[in-house]
Amino acid sequence: MSTPWRTLDPRTVLVHCAWLGAPLGSLALTALATGGRPGARAWITLGVVGAVFACLTTAGLISWRRTRYRVTADSFELSSGLFTRGLRAIPLHRVRTVDLTANPVQRLLGLAVLRAGTGGHGGELSLDALARPEAVRLRAELLARAGAHDAAEPLLATADLRRLRYAPLTFWVFGGVLATAGALWRVLDGIGVEPWRIGPVRRAFQEFGHSALWLTVPLALLAVTLLGVVGAVALYAENWWNYRLEWTDADTLRVRRGLFTTRSVSVERARLRGVTLREPLLLRMGGGASVRAVAGGLGDREENRRRSVVLPPAPRAQALRVCAGVLGTDGGADDPGAFGRSGEALDADALRPHPRAALRRRVVRALAWAVALPTAALAVLGWLLTPVLLYCAAGYALSAAPLAYALARDAHRGLGHGVRGRHLVVRSGTFGRETTVLERRAVQAWTFTDTPFGRRNGLVTATAAVAGGEDGYRIRDMSAEEAAVFVDRATPGILAEFLAHPSTR
Amino acid sequence: MAAHRHHPQAGLRPPRHAADPRARRWWTVQALLTLSGPLLLTAVALFVLSLLFFPGALPWLGPLLLVVLVLPALGYLLAMPRLRYRVHAWELGGSAVYAASGWCRHRRRIAPLSRVQTVDTTRGPLQRAFGLATVTVTTASTAGAVKISGLSDADARLLAERVADAARLIPGDAS
Repeated sequence: MSTPWRTLDPRTVLVHCAWLGAPLGSLALTALATGGRPGARAWITLGVVGAVFACLTTAGLISWRRTRYRVTADSFELSSGLFTRGLRAIPLHRVRTVDLTANPVQRLLGLAVLRAGTGGHGGELSLDALARPEAVRLRAELLARAGAHDAAEPLLATADLRRLRYAPLTFWVFGGVLATAGALWRVLDGIGVEPWRIGPVRRAFQEFGHSALWLTVPLALLAVTLLGVVGAVALYAENWWNYRLEWTDADTLRVRRGLFTTRSVSVERARLRGVTLREPLLLRMGGGASVRAVAGGLGDREENRRRSVVLPPAPRAQALRVCAGVLGTDGGADDPGAFGRSGEALDADALRPHPRAALRRRVVRALAWAVALPTAALAVLGWLLTPVLLYCAAGYALSAAPLAYALARDAHRGLGHGVRGRHLVVRSGTFGRETTVLERRAVQAWTFTDTPFGRRNGLVTATAAVAGGEDGYRIRDMSAEEAAVFVDRATPGILAEFLAHPSTR
Repeated sequence: MAAHRHHPQAGLRPPRHAADPRARRWWTVQALLTLSGPLLLTAVALFVLSLLFFPGALPWLGPLLLVVLVLPALGYLLAMPRLRYRVHAWELGGSAVYAASGWCRHRRRIAPLSRVQTVDTTRGPLQRAFGLATVTVTTASTAGAVKISGLSDADARLLAERVADAARLIPGDAS
């Protein structure tokens, strides 16, 4: 009658050895750097590493021995626990997703982690880890007996090599190189190597100083850019290899991706509040966009940002299609025309623009902070130190002012809001333009904020609170007169009784 | 209330009930403890030190201290509680709770009772000394918590009870 319990793969214990790599590697480097005579510190480190390793391996061994699972007639059960015995069971008919993932070490050992999720809150069982064939077999068995029913149009997007060209379109091309250099510096510093003391490095820097700077500085910048581009492409490939976005059944959206580490995120439809189309400046200039889901239950803010990406930088048209696919149609019952098949309704010109005062505010802000302030600083320095800086100040002001003005205009052009079917659309930003589509009934509360400037000029910022994503989504600087009317139209009933002129509705 | 406004902010009328008058004193003490007090103390200390050790610096240090430390401190101390008292207000409507707050940047938040998750009443040591309380009505979104401060104890108790009751009665779609 009772189904026998099965154990995890014994090789699971070996995975614990993997983290030994980093400390041992750094010790080896220290040994190399100190010429093979490790000091007392190194021995202490080695001892600590050994002790921790022994503890972890023992714990891993015990936990492996005490972890069992089985699939009975109607449920999937896992018994585990290092000190206490815990039994978790999920009914087979509630299983919505079964994912197999493996980090590089597990892959090397031929293991896979199986995760069975109900799509609900915390309803997840994970078997860490099984032999790969066993995991594949179990997955097929679970899915065959699970109560999942298929979505109308399941596959939304898959990996596409041509998208790689959007990878370098981020400011991280520079930032990434600098961050990597900083990290490398810290590692070297940590193991006691001072790069300045190494002969070739110092000589290279001296030669750089004596060379024709007008030639070598641009060349160095070019080299950094190239390095950054290579890094960005590599990172993109690692993150988005084997990418697949699909409705695994009518109620679960799943993203799978990753080259060395496979990641898989499932979002239950009930926790999906909308999507955000993201077009940072560089990506926008290259005609690309990426898409994030606005969803609850993906962890804290930081984790949510990382896990909610459903489409990497890709051609804009494709991003719009994915938006439409994620927003979807509730099994065909809802109006399919809200965003069209290709999401063209998300496109902008149809949104209501914001008043001229919002433009004035942006122009003033850009000119004050990005032009006037640096110019004044340069001018004061020039007045105190050397007249050359005065020319620099004049040059900066003349070149930065038009740019700041253009960016402010672009920021104003980007502002917009509107109601589309059962969704609310909000757009803003110039460096990081985001168009967010929220389900109207997901709005939990509204906040109206205004500054003294806004009060004088009839501007107000309305914030829609939702449970998930960034939590608060702002409609910046909308016309104060229209704000309440618009909000009342978007989410009927919430503020009806507080309207100043209920008759104007 | 709020007769100085030409048109109501964002097409909304202000909430019906003003904060408790004692809140002004609470905000004044808060201003003294957090910003004005430290600024004034710094000014006095610098002034005394300069008087004792560098009397020559007084002609320029005095006005500098006055402009940079003393005036902003006094301005904040006098203006903030008054402006706040003019703005802070609250109201429990039939289907939503509504609160206004702020002194320079004004904020109005409205949360439907059907989304209410918890109602918390807090009284800090200062608030207790003035017989005041803060009621926070939370929803599933962290950007949707309505915080009503400067309530009298009795008002706070009544409001918390009524919000909790109303939230129970109205069918919840809090998710």
